[in-house]
Amino acid sequence: MAVLAKPAGSIGKPHSHEDEEAHLREEHLMLDPRPRGEMNAMVMESMMVTSWKFWVISIILAIIVAICLGYYWGYMIVNGLGVAGVNRPIYWGIFLVNTVFWIGISHAGTFVSALLRVFKAEFRRPFTRAAELMTTFGLVQAGLSIFMHMGRIWLAYWLFPYPNERGLWPNFHSPLSWDFLAINTYLLSSTMYLFLPLIPDLAMARDRSTGWRKAVYRTLALGFRGTEGEWTHLRFAMNLFAFAILPVMFSVHTIVSWDFAAAMRPGWSSTIFGPYFVVGALQSGLSAVAMVIIVVRATMKNMKYFIRPEHLDALGKLMLIISMAWAYFFFNDYMVQWYNGDKWTDILLKFHEEGPLGWMWYAMLIFNIAVPWLILWNKNWRRNPTILFTVGFLVNIAMWFERYIIIPTSLSINRFPFTYQFYKPGVEIPLSIGTLALFVLLYMLASRIIPLVPVWEVQEGQMAHSLRKFGKESIVTVSDLE
Amino acid sequence: MTTASKSMLLALFPDLDPAAHAVEKLRELGIADDHVNVISGIPVTQAMLGRPHQWSNVPRLAMAGALGGLMLGIFLAFGTPNAYPLNVGGQPIVPGPPSVVVMFEMTMLGMLISTFLGVFLDSRFPSYEPKEYVPEISDGKIAILIECEPENEGEIQAAMTRIGAESVKHAEARKL
Repeated sequence: MAVLAKPAGSIGKPHSHEDEEAHLREEHLMLDPRPRGEMNAMVMESMMVTSWKFWVISIILAIIVAICLGYYWGYMIVNGLGVAGVNRPIYWGIFLVNTVFWIGISHAGTFVSALLRVFKAEFRRPFTRAAELMTTFGLVQAGLSIFMHMGRIWLAYWLFPYPNERGLWPNFHSPLSWDFLAINTYLLSSTMYLFLPLIPDLAMARDRSTGWRKAVYRTLALGFRGTEGEWTHLRFAMNLFAFAILPVMFSVHTIVSWDFAAAMRPGWSSTIFGPYFVVGALQSGLSAVAMVIIVVRATMKNMKYFIRPEHLDALGKLMLIISMAWAYFFFNDYMVQWYNGDKWTDILLKFHEEGPLGWMWYAMLIFNIAVPWLILWNKNWRRNPTILFTVGFLVNIAMWFERYIIIPTSLSINRFPFTYQFYKPGVEIPLSIGTLALFVLLYMLASRIIPLVPVWEVQEGQMAHSLRKFGKESIVTVSDLE
Repeated sequence: MTTASKSMLLALFPDLDPAAHAVEKLRELGIADDHVNVISGIPVTQAMLGRPHQWSNVPRLAMAGALGGLMLGIFLAFGTPNAYPLNVGGQPIVPGPPSVVVMFEMTMLGMLISTFLGVFLDSRFPSYEPKEYVPEISDGKIAILIECEPENEGEIQAAMTRIGAESVKHAEARKL
């Protein structure tokens, strides 16, 4: 059964049948078709028309990346991990907070694209690619953060399994090796999943460009024409990917959670960490998707046609549901740990709430639960880009705080009171700013080359939708074209 | 494009309905299904056009890839620890549950990579040589490539035009 962003009958109060139909067409992208050539031209224009502001922001971001990521990483490589704040007993600091955070961000791309494709949620169509692109670039930042955490990056090849004179072999039964396998599997799969539905749009761009763009699109489109065979193979592959990438997505963050849960530490040893982390990833990822599509809609030409308030509304609802799920898992985890009465866990929980970073714990709960619940129940607020962007931003701050509380804050307190220590980050701060700037920069540059709207999917959706009269009311109906 | 004995026509239709009628008409005119190919800017199912089912090796390749990935996972989880035994606190060299994780990840990776490569293999990607194509296809038009005897060209052209083809011309292979 196809799922619309909003039931047609519940929108506004039009006066006549004509008004009602016009209102529905304005509301739903799928009911407001334009000729394919026009939509192609709109997407091409959105990529090719670039204001001076875009380049100024890109240059500023590139400078931030060069300084914060290039210089400070070089500084850390030359001087060693001592310039970072990690030290006994806090061996895992902001680098791993960022790793978990970026893997979380990457989850939404797959969730929005694959899960909504499996369930035939029609509102997904115009923004699946924008979300998938986030997955790929988010995973790049996660990978960079792991390499930063590694310190001696020039020995990274020791992670690879190959016979060597050192007699070393990765222990495939260690959660850290599972991480390596899972993150790489997810990165490769999500990149392939981004590329497959992109091929027809690259062919469209090839047909409409000249110069260097033509050469790039021609190469990337691989000679696609749209024959029956090409579509059949592509369809099979996309459907298979949509089903198969979901368990991979769940496995990645579950395995990340096992890095913590498999250790016998107070606050970490929890059987619910797997789903709790997955829901947390969706919480931050969906909020990030909402933020990205709001920025894309506001800054790129013609995007207001493709991304409409109905899409913000649908994302807002998803964010609210996931926020509820996160609250449930958080309470479950907290409740069991608090109830079991273990002395060290009790001390840790008190430290979370009443320690010097207690404000972070409360901010996490307020931004993750109170803010979405108080705001996202309201249809008008969900559809307001400024409000939804603000909620998404606060949720992402909260989810970063959550990872900070789980990792360095929890490591401050352990079973040896004489080792209690407070984490003071060093080069981690500029490096974190650098990864964030790199993510935004990569996304901005990609938006000039990659068609952010899958035009063929939008057209397919528009073909499948129609208005049907039931008595006096017009109802949106969707045909299953696959 | 014209081969030694056959002609290749490209009929361009504005919409799906006339294209479906054209497919039916071509069959009536004695053109075999394998001498007709439909090219479109969106996926049009064979059922919509009344075309025969398209065979794809992608699912079989995916299964083969999954099996290959599983084998690699078994090798990594069960085979290599015995070659490089790591004694961790007296625990078994090859424990069961953690091996499942490795096998799962490698199985999925094998399946997804082979699915991806399957599209390349079945579609003969990448392929940059000149092909019969017109850019209007990605603007939403539907093209039918018809391989026919030169003496039937006139009849086919007339029939396609009658059904609603915007143009019917000799298909020329062009650089994409």
